[in-house]
Amino acid sequence: MKETTNRQILHTAMQMVYDEGCHEAKAVLMQNHEDTIQVRGGRVEKLQRAAPTSLALNLFIDGREGFFYTNDLAIDSLHRFVRQAVATTRMLEPDADRTLADPQRYYRGGGPELKNYDATLSDIEPERKIRLATGHNTDASLSHPAIISAETHYSDRQHRAEYLISNGFEGSEASSYCTLTTIVTVEGRDGQHPMDGWGETRIFFDDMPTTGIADVALQRTLRKIGQRPTKSGTYTMLVESPVAGNLLQPLLSAMNGQALQQRMSFLEGRQHTQVGSTLLHLIDDPLQPGTRGACHFDYDGTATSRRTLFDEGRLQTYFIDTLYARKLHMTPTTQGTHHLILRPGDKSLNELMQAASNGILVTDFNGGNCDPSTGNFSYGIEGFVLRDGKLAEPVSGMNITGNMLELWQRLVGAANDADPWETELIPSLMFEGVHFAGN
Amino acid sequence: MDFQQIIAAALSRGGHYADIYIEHTVLQNVELQDGRVSQAQQSVLHGAGIRVVCGEQTGYAYTMDLSQPSLMHAARFAASIGDGNFCAPHCTVCADEILPRPDTSEPQQLEGCEAAALLLKIQERACATDPRIVRVKASLSQRTQQIQFLNSLGEEYTDLRPRTSLFVSIVMEQGEQTQMGFASRMMQHGAEMLTDELVDEVTHEAISRTAFLFDATRIDGGEMPVVMAAGASGILLHEAIGHAFEADFIRQGTSIFSDRLGTEICDPSITIVDDGTQEGDAGRLRWDDEGTAGQRTVLVEKGRLVSFMHDRISAKHFGVAPTGNGRRQSFRHTPQPRMRSTYMLAGETPPDDIIRSVRRGILAQTFTNGQVQIGAGDFTFYMKQGYLIEDGRLTQPLRDLNIIGNGPQALRDICLVGNDLKLDHSASMCGKGGQTVPVSQGLPTVLIKKLVVG
Repeated sequence: MKETTNRQILHTAMQMVYDEGCHEAKAVLMQNHEDTIQVRGGRVEKLQRAAPTSLALNLFIDGREGFFYTNDLAIDSLHRFVRQAVATTRMLEPDADRTLADPQRYYRGGGPELKNYDATLSDIEPERKIRLATGHNTDASLSHPAIISAETHYSDRQHRAEYLISNGFEGSEASSYCTLTTIVTVEGRDGQHPMDGWGETRIFFDDMPTTGIADVALQRTLRKIGQRPTKSGTYTMLVESPVAGNLLQPLLSAMNGQALQQRMSFLEGRQHTQVGSTLLHLIDDPLQPGTRGACHFDYDGTATSRRTLFDEGRLQTYFIDTLYARKLHMTPTTQGTHHLILRPGDKSLNELMQAASNGILVTDFNGGNCDPSTGNFSYGIEGFVLRDGKLAEPVSGMNITGNMLELWQRLVGAANDADPWETELIPSLMFEGVHFAGN
Repeated sequence: MDFQQIIAAALSRGGHYADIYIEHTVLQNVELQDGRVSQAQQSVLHGAGIRVVCGEQTGYAYTMDLSQPSLMHAARFAASIGDGNFCAPHCTVCADEILPRPDTSEPQQLEGCEAAALLLKIQERACATDPRIVRVKASLSQRTQQIQFLNSLGEEYTDLRPRTSLFVSIVMEQGEQTQMGFASRMMQHGAEMLTDELVDEVTHEAISRTAFLFDATRIDGGEMPVVMAAGASGILLHEAIGHAFEADFIRQGTSIFSDRLGTEICDPSITIVDDGTQEGDAGRLRWDDEGTAGQRTVLVEKGRLVSFMHDRISAKHFGVAPTGNGRRQSFRHTPQPRMRSTYMLAGETPPDDIIRSVRRGILAQTFTNGQVQIGAGDFTFYMKQGYLIEDGRLTQPLRDLNIIGNGPQALRDICLVGNDLKLDHSASMCGKGGQTVPVSQGLPTVLIKKLVVG
């Protein structure tokens, strides 16, 4: 019943757009259901529930393009909103490259069932979710005397969106996730309060783990006591799986059509060249059922497909949408990534550490940035000195510096420990010859 | 609308405090790219959040539907945080008392074609300034946030918060090199802030920052003295100590400053404030987002930590008055202690003397981003532009360095404070707990004995 209502709103809004004289448009009606619970000291500290609905319009009038968003869906408000949206679009300068996507590229059905939506999530009573979060927050491991604070956060989101595009696309998509995180703060040395956490995410509520998160969070925090910078130098660097994807982001940003067109990409002109070592084998697979990020079509309605982004280090493609395909005279590909998989190795993180013997294991990044035109980067890190293949003293307050193109050429190992429930399955990675600045 | 009934429903299950936050925000953005103003965005955010506080517990629900039944439904959900020990609500709000008109005038706004003309003028002036410019991107964002607030204590206000932001980014080519730089301004003003002088200032700032990068290099990292230039270097205060002074972290005991109230934490020449009263400033609040009047809060007075930044919950926990720092991104979010405009008062040393005092170190001038780990106190900020200091003189231009330190130690290591306090009005958004709010910061030139640079 609710779905019918949403579809009616969508069609009503599109009709208003037509009535105002705009005949190329995309309308998306999004409806979410979100619960958030925070538990500290075994007590619920915050309980929040919402079911927001909103409408996004993308209007095209003779090469003019406007983006509009509202969550005020009362019919009078919608009329005013659409009237203003069309007027705003009309006052822009035309740019012939701005059009809707080619209808030939739209998703026409027939894709696999994605199994990424828990339809029961919004019907589950808050009490059950509170019990789950409280159970993790009262785990026996959290009675450790060094603990100052232990918080457990539960949140979930059920998302549905209905799409209507004037040149021949109508579709819907749905996804959900639930996530549990415990964050522990302990008494450290010299007045410091080391803090760390651990979390798990699932698509279906019934798959949520009922134990184990708190203990991992505690152990990860305790091992940080006594962090300090170590000596500057060039080290073998291992990067733990949960944060290894941070190092991929500059590559992915540099593959974006806008970055290329604006001459702000260090990957410009590098398609089909060797950008990284042969271990950089990266694919995007939006059609893998039961995974987060899975989807049949992009936000512009075009069908998604499995793509190899880096084939054993060679850059295979860029992210080119309709606008930038026209501007760059390239074939459109996709708007971005959905479900990334970096080919895993056959070793565990421990085995990779033993293979490295000495170096630094990075467990988190702390600030920093990467210059989009050169790929030069500097990131703050924390982690552990590796000595004889084992974790030695904890380190923090250090920077790694270098250039993205050189860094990925130095990728010499990938573990087999990527979390299958993430949208990016990036295992722990090993790079040789990385410059660390510390003492 | 019977707000009294809604508040009563919110408190019906034992909550001791409830508030209703109604918001209608319109954001318009016009963008110039590739020589054309061919893209515009507009968003409307409309709804109400109902919060119930019971001790240190919060129940929250929000709705886009401002009808009585929808608000009642939200109130009943938020009420469920209560422990069931019903307290008679102290509720003095009556329907006919609410909605006083804000005593601010409607903010001035540029119409679409006026905004487009402004952006084209920026491009024209930029391109005429330097032949190396190959791309100009500029955007003008105009936001009006209308708020109606009332709570179970009988407090109520309405407010109109304009916000105007101008961004200019420049791409230059010189030989084989391409560089990009940008500049911005964000104020709680309408379009009247967009004077010719300000527009030229932002445009030329973006151009000079981009041109600077061609000659700038990076240096081998390590520990060294760092001179923070006046203005944008206020990011030091924001990251190094600001977040750690937010009293939710103090209440939870997680901040590294949790047990330092009343103690001397830095040189007596240092006084630091967080200020919600600066007219036009992005962090200015006539009332915060839970009804406390805007105010100026001294955090560190002559080296001594004298106050944290409180919302209602932390203030009640510590038995002090809230400091007007309860802020939220929108009606979709609960308030939490946040900074407003955080700055250090001027000292006595001329900035040139500070630079002359350094044998080898760096001068940090502009920044892109920063963050902090509250418990450990480790902070970083990314310097986009600066200079190497050798024997008291600025020598090599520097770029792209991440600067790392520990908050309490960095504060103790500030050994000279300049007489040139400058507030920075670049567009600066602060993220915490999934919420983003506008802030500003300021600093006189200061010398920090050592930070890790790399």
